[in-house]
Amino acid sequence: MGNKQTVFTHEQLEAYQDCTFFTRKEIMRVFYRYQDLAPQLVPLDYTTCPDVKVPYELIGSMPELKDNPFRQRIAQVFSEDGDGHMTLDNFLDMFSVMSEMAPRDLKAYYAFKIYDFNNDDYICAWDLEQTVTKLTRGELSAEEVSLVCEKVLDEADGDHDGRLSLEDFQNMILRAPDFLSTFHIRI
Amino acid sequence: MLSDDHVNEIIIQVENVSSGVQSHPSSNQIFQEKVLLDSSINMVSSISDIDVIDSQTVSKRNDQKGNQVLRFSTSLNESMSQTLHSLECMGIDTPGSSHETVQGQKLIASLIPMTSRDRIKAIRNQPRTMEEKRNLRKIVDKEKSKQTHRILQLNCCIQCLNSISRAYRRSKNSLSEILNSISLWQKTLKIIGGKFGTSVLSYFNFLRWLLKFNIFSFILNFSFIIIPQFTVAEKNTLQFTGLEFFTGVMAKYFRNNFINPHIYSGGITKLIFCWDFTVTQEKAVKLKQKNLSTEIRENLSELRQENSKLTFNQQLTRFSAYMVAWVVSTGVAIACCAAVYYLAEYNLEFLKTHSNPGAVLLLPFVVSCINLAVPCIYSTFRLVERYEMPRHEVYVLLIRNIFLKISIIGILCYYWLNTVALSGEECWETLIGQDIYRLLLMDFVFSLVNSFLGEFLRRIIGMQLITSLGLQEFDIARNVLELIYAQTLVWIGIFFCPLLPFIQMIMLFIMFYSKNISLMMNFQPPSKAWRASQMMTFFIFLLFFPSFTGVLCTLAITIWRLKPSADCGPFRGLPLFIHSIYSWIDTLSTRPGYLWVVWIYRNLIGSVHFFFILTLIVLIITYLYWQITEGRKIMIRLLHEQIINEGKDKMFLIEKLIKLQDMEKKANPSSLVLERREVEQQGSLHLGEHDGSLDLRFRRSVQEGNPRA
Repeated sequence: MGNKQTVFTHEQLEAYQDCTFFTRKEIMRVFYRYQDLAPQLVPLDYTTCPDVKVPYELIGSMPELKDNPFRQRIAQVFSEDGDGHMTLDNFLDMFSVMSEMAPRDLKAYYAFKIYDFNNDDYICAWDLEQTVTKLTRGELSAEEVSLVCEKVLDEADGDHDGRLSLEDFQNMILRAPDFLSTFHIRI
Repeated sequence: MLSDDHVNEIIIQVENVSSGVQSHPSSNQIFQEKVLLDSSINMVSSISDIDVIDSQTVSKRNDQKGNQVLRFSTSLNESMSQTLHSLECMGIDTPGSSHETVQGQKLIASLIPMTSRDRIKAIRNQPRTMEEKRNLRKIVDKEKSKQTHRILQLNCCIQCLNSISRAYRRSKNSLSEILNSISLWQKTLKIIGGKFGTSVLSYFNFLRWLLKFNIFSFILNFSFIIIPQFTVAEKNTLQFTGLEFFTGVMAKYFRNNFINPHIYSGGITKLIFCWDFTVTQEKAVKLKQKNLSTEIRENLSELRQENSKLTFNQQLTRFSAYMVAWVVSTGVAIACCAAVYYLAEYNLEFLKTHSNPGAVLLLPFVVSCINLAVPCIYSTFRLVERYEMPRHEVYVLLIRNIFLKISIIGILCYYWLNTVALSGEECWETLIGQDIYRLLLMDFVFSLVNSFLGEFLRRIIGMQLITSLGLQEFDIARNVLELIYAQTLVWIGIFFCPLLPFIQMIMLFIMFYSKNISLMMNFQPPSKAWRASQMMTFFIFLLFFPSFTGVLCTLAITIWRLKPSADCGPFRGLPLFIHSIYSWIDTLSTRPGYLWVVWIYRNLIGSVHFFFILTLIVLIITYLYWQITEGRKIMIRLLHEQIINEGKDKMFLIEKLIKLQDMEKKANPSSLVLERREVEQQGSLHLGEHDGSLDLRFRRSVQEGNPRA
């Protein structure tokens, strides 16, 4: 392998290394995965910073994401305009946050955004219903779903305003030590 | 416009404090800062709710208002571009704009004084897009270089230090890259995680960790023991360094994983928000969704039925069932130990008279059979005992299995140290080493046979014959205990047979593949959520406490009490093993260059006072940390109550404002003066000097709302 890559300039690679949790090799590996998604669209030379966006349909068909119930939300949260089409920067960001090196607070922040379906900075009852439906794939009846949402709000809502704020969510995450290992996608 | 600035100002006030602690985002510190900003938070939240009420204007705004996320500034793009613009005053030429925001400046100002390592860490931990992070980094680097230009006196030193730290960081990066490339089985682990999830993955991670440790131990042993043995036949006592290094590594691992139990358990919330993102296979995901639904239903039904109080009779029967089960399990364990002991003694005599090569394998065979059969017996106790929580069942089973394994190892150690060592045999150390080696080997063979035959048969039975059983689930606890058992044997055996880590390495390597193949063929993904992190902490604790400490005790007894054999081994002829160290120290004290070693030995290791002081210091530090933890718990509870109170205040304010809005809608829209007076009259809420801005804000929203009414 060595230092003979021609995709990025040295400065670009250093910047990526400093801004993500990846090493140089891992950044190249992620780049080649990105390139594989759309070989005609993504150039092999990023030194000129081309403005290339891979459409969501291709991102959502990645083996790591294609069966994830939240793949659309993940792509929306990390994409530039919230529509799921991702540039290389967004792609690297996504896998950097989902890697095992990212700290819990950062992961909790993005998890909160993923579960916040209507993007209003709160996880309200409707968001919870969407989450539960995606998680159980129609196995639970509507009554059970609303019961679950009620129970979750009971347990986690600290200031009793009927919805979960980021602080409530982070507080809850503190008590769930498994979160760090489950909110993890390996690429 | 004015009110926007006010809003920004107030938000900035809050962020002022929180950005200062961005490099240490511990929630406790943030909470402490929040206490100081009592009224401002109130203000912000009430303003934000005016926003929410005023839905027409809110719908246009995306999350750039940043009123909620106090720790991370959410006005991402806006603040970054504004920062770039606002840096005109700092002397960087960027296209200017008059609108300033202090947020970005504060962030940059907090980043500049940090060391480069902390800075990179802080930038990485920012929840911003890549482009923003890159810009941030560029700006901070420019600023930093400008500042270092200005400080001319210390220029030379700082540049030196900078280049050294950069070189060090680069070498560390390349080292970690090399280590990561050697990382074993990455792809396999990904596949396992994809199909079975994090819980089963934790077992294989543990196995890989043990393998790495054994490799390290082997390298240590090899360089310090084997090589000198081959080159110069001299006694050396450096084998303890391996075990001592380990203590530090273990403590750190344990500390990293330790969790603080909290007030409530949050069962269903955890199920919802801790979806396992590592599961990527389609069938596995569907299965997991089905299992999750089942678990949620069970959780809901648990809540629906009240905890029916058991009658006294029922309680008595349950208690007696527990007692009986415990007595029986302990009895079985003790019986097995006694059997092993007598078999061992009988074996010794038997071997003296006959020399059947197969007979030596009898003891290991029996021990492995016990290790296989008795846990199965323990799991059948489940039919008799009824536990309220399935978690208790798992723990009780674990404790019984641990007790069994520890007592078997204990009885074998007793046998070896008391009988074999004192029996006057030639080379008794070699005998013990061989015994341990045979035990390990037999255990390994049994595990292989179980993987390939036993589990395969269970699958045939489950799929073809009794289809109601279905596929089995991977029993993580039992497998981890087996690993710990084997590792304990290896540690005991290192002293008697230094090549044991090498053998254990090979065995672990093969076991990984055999377990992996068996897993893929014969098992189904787990149906219940398994608390992987807590269990892992428990297992690491197990590895450390009974296992490692027990080994240390055994070795301590060996070294201080037993007489080495007269003809074999590096300690031959000495009265006690420890005399090797005594004579080494004596040798060193004759050489002037090594007197410091002698001094350390005599005054630090050899003296009681030193250890007393050390223990005292450790106890004091532990007590301090404990007190800090207790204090923080109290703080958290108080702050939690405060949050609840502020929530109530918020609701009160919202209701008030809704009332006011309703009143305003009924009255004439042009009579704003009237409203202003009304608002001022009702402004006796704890708004203080921010009254005016609340006023203006409210008026603005009213004005905006009216044209559309």
